[in-house]
Amino acid sequence: MERGCEFGMPGQEQLQKEVMDRDLCSSCGICVGLCPYIKTVRDRVKVIYPCGHEDGTCYMVCPKTPTNIGNMDRAVFGREREDQALGLFSGIYYARALTGKPGGAQYGGAASALTGLALREGLISSAVLTGGDIKSPRPVLARDADTVARCAGSKYTGVPSLLELNRAIRDGLTDIGVVGRPCQVVAVRKSQQGNLPGPQYPSSSGIGLVLGLFCFWSLAPELYGFLQLETGGEEIVKMDIPVEGPVAYTRAGKYSWQLEDIRTFIKKSCNTCFDSTSEYADISVGSTEHDPVWNTLIIRTGKGLDIFNLALQKGVIEIREYPPERLPLLRRAALGKKMRVLSLLEKDLGNTGYITLPEKYRRDLETQWGGINQ
Amino acid sequence: MSLAGVCQEKAGVKVALTGNEAIARGALEAGVAYAASYPGSPTAEVLGTLSRVAKQFNLYAEWSVNEKVAMEGVAAASFAGLRSLVVMKADGLNVALDFAGALAISGCRGGMVMVLGDDPNAHSSVREEDSRNLCKAKHLPVLEPSSVREAMEMTREAFALSEELELPVVVRCVTRVCHASGDVELGELVRPERKPDFTRENRVITFGIKLHAGQESKLARAAHLVCDSAFNSYTGPENPERLVIASGPCYMYAQEALEMLGAGGTTGILKLGTTWPLPEALLLEHMERVPEVIFAEEVEPFVEDNVMALAAGCLPGKVRFYGKRSGHVAGPAGPGIGELDPDVLAASLGNILGINYSPGTIDNKQEALSLLEDKMPDRELAFCAGCPHRASFWAVRAALELDGRGGIVLGDIGCYTLGMARTGYYLLQTVHCMGAGIGLAGGMGNLSRFGFDKPVVTLVGDSTFYHAAIPALINARYHNSNFMCIILDNETTAMTGHQPHPGRQHTAMGEPAHTVPMEDIIRGVGMPYIVQDPYDVEASIEVIYDLLRQEGPRVLILRRSCVLAAVRGKQKDRVYVNEDKCIGDSCGCGRFCSRVFACPANVWDAEKGRARIDEAVCNGCGVCASLCPQGAIMVERGV
Amino acid sequence: MVKEPLNIIITGVGGQGNVLASQVVSAAAVQAGYRVAVGETFGVSQRGGSVMSHVRLSLNRPCGPLIPRGQAHVVAGFEPLETMRVLLDYASAETVVIMNNRPNYPLGCLSGEHRYPDPERVEEAVKKMTPRLHVLPATELAKEAGSPLAANMVMTGALAGSGLLPFGRECFISVIGSLFQGIVRDLNLQAFESGFRRMDG
Repeated sequence: MERGCEFGMPGQEQLQKEVMDRDLCSSCGICVGLCPYIKTVRDRVKVIYPCGHEDGTCYMVCPKTPTNIGNMDRAVFGREREDQALGLFSGIYYARALTGKPGGAQYGGAASALTGLALREGLISSAVLTGGDIKSPRPVLARDADTVARCAGSKYTGVPSLLELNRAIRDGLTDIGVVGRPCQVVAVRKSQQGNLPGPQYPSSSGIGLVLGLFCFWSLAPELYGFLQLETGGEEIVKMDIPVEGPVAYTRAGKYSWQLEDIRTFIKKSCNTCFDSTSEYADISVGSTEHDPVWNTLIIRTGKGLDIFNLALQKGVIEIREYPPERLPLLRRAALGKKMRVLSLLEKDLGNTGYITLPEKYRRDLETQWGGINQ
Repeated sequence: MSLAGVCQEKAGVKVALTGNEAIARGALEAGVAYAASYPGSPTAEVLGTLSRVAKQFNLYAEWSVNEKVAMEGVAAASFAGLRSLVVMKADGLNVALDFAGALAISGCRGGMVMVLGDDPNAHSSVREEDSRNLCKAKHLPVLEPSSVREAMEMTREAFALSEELELPVVVRCVTRVCHASGDVELGELVRPERKPDFTRENRVITFGIKLHAGQESKLARAAHLVCDSAFNSYTGPENPERLVIASGPCYMYAQEALEMLGAGGTTGILKLGTTWPLPEALLLEHMERVPEVIFAEEVEPFVEDNVMALAAGCLPGKVRFYGKRSGHVAGPAGPGIGELDPDVLAASLGNILGINYSPGTIDNKQEALSLLEDKMPDRELAFCAGCPHRASFWAVRAALELDGRGGIVLGDIGCYTLGMARTGYYLLQTVHCMGAGIGLAGGMGNLSRFGFDKPVVTLVGDSTFYHAAIPALINARYHNSNFMCIILDNETTAMTGHQPHPGRQHTAMGEPAHTVPMEDIIRGVGMPYIVQDPYDVEASIEVIYDLLRQEGPRVLILRRSCVLAAVRGKQKDRVYVNEDKCIGDSCGCGRFCSRVFACPANVWDAEKGRARIDEAVCNGCGVCASLCPQGAIMVERGV
Repeated sequence: MVKEPLNIIITGVGGQGNVLASQVVSAAAVQAGYRVAVGETFGVSQRGGSVMSHVRLSLNRPCGPLIPRGQAHVVAGFEPLETMRVLLDYASAETVVIMNNRPNYPLGCLSGEHRYPDPERVEEAVKKMTPRLHVLPATELAKEAGSPLAANMVMTGALAGSGLLPFGRECFISVIGSLFQGIVRDLNLQAFESGFRRMDG
């Protein structure tokens, strides 16, 4: 896996220059808690004091520092991808929870159900999640299925929940599960590569299962001020952002907007994100953009397949074939985002910014986008 | 150090007292009934001592909310005919000056003494001042003791002089007297009956220029009286070739300097114990006999200027003057700056007398220094180990960085003034006088109308809050100025030795107090506030961050007892490093506790490459344990 | 032969309690009938700076509170670096030095900007300037007596046991006994005795 720049050893100073100062930080939280010098409040992650080191784990594991997609594929899957849209996977389904779907869960509740199962079966010791309520989401380390259930439901602002992963590893936990956004999945995979400057990630991986979420962007917390104004201060109990535009539910009723209304709250870093389906997760979970009682499930790794099969066997989830006519839509959305990001990165940062795309990937991407866009 | 000495009943006994204790003893020997002060170095222990013996001597002692209020209370006792004492440092006189000027006009009844502590070299002050100039401006007579013994005697005699003149009398002491100790021969203790007497007939008014004329005549009388004062004395040959006029401890230095130069046979010393008004006749009598006069005083050329003015009128052109104005009497920082000592005076006098003075030294210093291989490192001042301010400053710094808008931080006077240095991560950008931070923040917070967009934070201590912050806070509320005031509440006046203030449950005399909680005041002013424990650093960062993003004047109280007060008489928690967990200098820590957090108890074991806790320094607060990224610092609770 | 006046400097770092030590010496001296002048340079007292007490004893003459350069007869150093600092200004080759060997690191050394000189080298350097050097582990002895904070009384004991002062152990014991009560008194007396024994023979 490619590690950073050619000149010198990259560390905190470069992280600040290349990522934070350019507003590329997506608040994944992987650099928080590695050391005493990077802190977070709400969705903000900042260097508060120079650490004095030239090279640093923070830079190496950041999803927004130089990332070679080909190398990542080889490191996680042992081979390169053919599908530039969705990456490597062995199966794609509609799925929903049969048992243990919590009240607050989004769509089919598959993410909560799978996480709960993994915890109950002892496949993971704990799970890094985003909990709290819509208005003040916060990182949570769940040790039991009840806590997982309480964390159910999508949160739409970036929460640096991976700080809980760092804390759990420091506390000596192993087989830690992670449910995260695509950037967080990339960060977790980077942390597993070994050969890092600091000893924060033990060589025997502490990571259990990685459940990745679909994510096209997350929003800045200023969104809440906007919503609060719009709903006249009523408490928002649930929220969703389907293709038609954002909706919020209060006890009094439903409020809806156009996507354009909230576009200013999209985090700048999300506009440069190359991955909308958590391509390096064991299993990716998303909406169907179609049927609100089902999730999309993408089975990617052997570990992912194992838990998927177990979930079926235990009757925790049920599945349906992914409608063949919808697959092009999903691929088109993913490819479209990649094309937008590439042109933006090339314009703003020169070359392709932090993303390194092997020559073949680049060609395939153009071809596949050309094919699907007609 | 010796309360027993201060209370010793037997006159004539010799005891060792500090300068401040000697002043307290002098006041007791004068039968003082009412004493008040706001603590300030170098004079803080005067009232501390009196408060501890208050009941025994049936006197009233209070730590007032500030120096002006202290002086007003003391003056009231004097108006009622009681002997009274007010104590403050030079900076305190600035606070009390408005009243001091008025009081000098109205005069007083019972003997009233003002002990002013000047701090040449600013050993324990933010700045160096010579308050004699203010005393002169306000028409107050000044006595200056040269030693501990004299501090006691002068304080005692100042009461009588005050009664004679019906004017408050200043005893101006420098640090080298207050913080010195020495043997004193005790005088008689008196216990006069306290009979306050102030009726409808009494009027103490300051109005009209007739009173100004009265002031001048009182001073003229004082100038006459002090010519016979035993505190002014001449030592030296009968017909000296030159005269040194010395005041304060410079008298002792001058004596020693002349001895070291072997010039005692030709040079006399006129010790001036009464430096304002000058004993003009006495001075002229001595100056008429010599062609050269040298001045030895601290800090500014006060006696020098006034004596030269006197000579210009009475002995024009007869005497050549050497001192600060001529540049001859100067320490390393230059004439009129910093304190003098025997070596500085010996060098200065040697220069004037044409005698080479070289202080004793060791020949092989350089050789010895080269053995060290390293340069001698300086010792910076730091918050004590376990000081809650360190945690507070770290949280403020972190929150400001997280906020990212370049927030500015204004400081105030107290232990936390050290926040301008390493130990407070160089955060403080202004340091002026008691309470100034809030006033400045109010001003900065009004600048948003001109586009100033940086968050404004001001830090103030609890004692300073009560002392001088409240009017500025009211002003800020009234004008809706946009800033965040953080009160670093360590529940005491820590800097000067843990004196109580209105937020405490007891008075100076140990009596139960009617506490005035700062929350009540802030609520009364109409400001929102939050209380937070700074030892919980992570939570503090979050609270400060959220407050930074709010508008209007707002208050955060970071409350945690001064660690020195908290651990007194208790078994401290034991803090130690788990060396297996400590990752030392590597990525992930980078020696945070010893390199960055700047707690003197967090030391670095270079051989092992691990952090270590210096158990002789550590006060067991455990904050470093909460910040250690590896959880390698362990806390064992004391039993 | 005792010098007239006898100039003693007690030095250390804020918080080590050397002001208390100088007060004990001066009170003991007055009890023994001497005139005393003590000048304390402690500034912002408890806050980690250098602290220095000049103690001057005389049979009959009053002294100023500051000792002229090069004229310290005895230096009790509670901390090696501070001892060195004081000696550079106030010692002569005849000065007798009693030094605690326990370093107290300045912030600049903890941060890594400066280096605290190797303690053995400090000892060598001190010995070079003032051959009459006695080094003792005062902080360790104090720990044995019950608290590392009693190092000041160990050093006071060492000063008393050195035979350099014109009055004896009893004066000290009576002063320490009058300053403290209960277990604190016991601790301080024990620390004093342990320092005294170190130096006495």
